Amino acid sequence: MNISKIANLRFFFINSRLLGFYLSFITLILFLFGIAWGLFIAPKDYLQGESYRIMYVHVPAAWLSLQVYIFMTIAAIISLIWKVKIMEIASIECAPIGAFFTLIALITGMIWGKPTWGTYWVWDARLTSELILLFIYIGILILYSSFEDKRQGSKVASILAIVGLINIPIIHYSVEWWNTLHQGPTVMKFDRPSVHSSMLIPLIYMFFVFNLYFITVLIKRIRLGICHREKNSKWFEDYIND
Amino acid sequence: MIKIFIKKEVNIYFRNLNYIFLPMIFFFLIISVFPLVLGPDKALLSKIIPGIIWITVILTTLLSSNNFFKDDYDNGIIETYLTCDISIELLLFIRILMCWLFTCFPIIFFIPLVSILFSMSFESTLTVFLTLIIGTPILISLGLFGSALTLGVAKNNILTPIIIVPFYIPVLIFSASAIESANSGLPYEMQIYILAALLALILPIMPYLLKYTLHISINS
Repeated sequence: MNISKIANLRFFFINSRLLGFYLSFITLILFLFGIAWGLFIAPKDYLQGESYRIMYVHVPAAWLSLQVYIFMTIAAIISLIWKVKIMEIASIECAPIGAFFTLIALITGMIWGKPTWGTYWVWDARLTSELILLFIYIGILILYSSFEDKRQGSKVASILAIVGLINIPIIHYSVEWWNTLHQGPTVMKFDRPSVHSSMLIPLIYMFFVFNLYFITVLIKRIRLGICHREKNSKWFEDYIND
Repeated sequence: MIKIFIKKEVNIYFRNLNYIFLPMIFFFLIISVFPLVLGPDKALLSKIIPGIIWITVILTTLLSSNNFFKDDYDNGIIETYLTCDISIELLLFIRILMCWLFTCFPIIFFIPLVSILFSMSFESTLTVFLTLIIGTPILISLGLFGSALTLGVAKNNILTPIIIVPFYIPVLIFSASAIESANSGLPYEMQIYILAALLALILPIMPYLLKYTLHISINS
C-alpha cells in the first residue's frame, strides 16, 4: 500500500468509517481511565491541594493547541506544494480542533487561576500568547468560511496559517519580554523544578489520550470535509447509493 | 522600469487626493475624540497619548488596508501584471513604499502638532516619531498582505482587520515599551533596533509573499 493510495479521497472515505468508529470508542475508554487516574489515584499536591488536578486537562490541552497548529501548517505546506487534496482538507479541519483546544486551555486555566493566583485572568506572557493563538485560529477559520469556493478558501487559509507559524514565536517572545518588563507586584511563578513521577505519568498519559482524541476527531472531520466537497462527484454518489 | 512604476503609483494618489487626505482627517478626528471621552485631564492625557497615537495609527492603516488591491482587482489589472513579463515583485515593493509614503507619512508628519495639542515632552515625541517611522511600514506591508488574502471575498469590510491585528502585536509591544522607557528616562535603543530588525525581516520577504498570495487569489 503506498501513500498516494491513502491520499486518494475515495479510498480514505470508504476505509476510515470503521477506523473512526473504533478510535472514538478506544479514546472514550482511555479518556475515562485517564480522568479517573488524574482525579482520584494521583496524589494530592502539598502546595495547591486538590485544585491542581485540573492540570490533567489544562496542560495537555495547552500542548495540543500548539501541536495542532504545527500539524496544520505542515499539512498546509504539503497541500500547497504537492497539491495533495486530502492534506488541503486536513489542514483546514485542524483549525476548529486547535481553536477548541486553545479555548479549553484558556478556560481551565482561568478556573485554575482563581484558587491558585486569586484571580481569573492576569496579562501574563503565557496567557496572552495563548489568547493571541486563539485569535489567529479564529482569523484562519473566518477567512476560510468567507470564501464560497472551499478549495480557494483552504488555499488562502493555508497561506495565513504558514505566515502565522512564522509569527507565533515572534509573538511569544515579544509578549514574554513585554511581561518581564512590566513585572507587576504579584509574581505568578508556580514552576517547580520537577514534577514527581506519580503526577507526571498520568499527565503524559493524558497527553497521549488527547493526541488520540485529536486524531479521531480529525479523521471524522476529514470525512465530513470530503462529504462537503465531493458531494457532486460520481464515486461519492455511487458509494452513497450502494 | 522603476520610474514607470513609481510614476504610476504616484499618479494613483495624486489623481485621487482622497486617498491622502481621508486617513489624515480620520486620524485627527479619532485623536480628538479621546480627550472628550477621557476628560481634559492634562497629566493623564500626556501620559497615555503615545498609546492613543499608536491605536489611532493602527485604526487608520486598517481602514485603508481594504482598498490596497481592491481597485486593481476590480478593473482586472492584477491579472495583467501576473501574466506580463515584468518583475511584479519590484512593483509590489514600490507599492508598499508608496502606500506608506501617502497614507502613513502625512500622519507622522503631523506628530509635532499632536505633541503640542497634548503637551507631550520632547523625548516622548521623538520616540513616538521614531517608532512610527520604523513601525508603520511593517503595518502597511502586513495590511497589504491581509488585503491580498481577502481579494476573492466579495464583502470583506471587517475581515482584513480581524485577520491582521494579531500580526501587529510584536510591533505594538516594542513601540509601546520604547515610548515607556523614554518617558521614564531609560535607554530605548534596544526596542528601536528590534523594530528595525522586524522591518528588515518583513520588507524583503513581503513582495514575494504578496506575489504568491495574489497568484492564489486570482486563480479562483
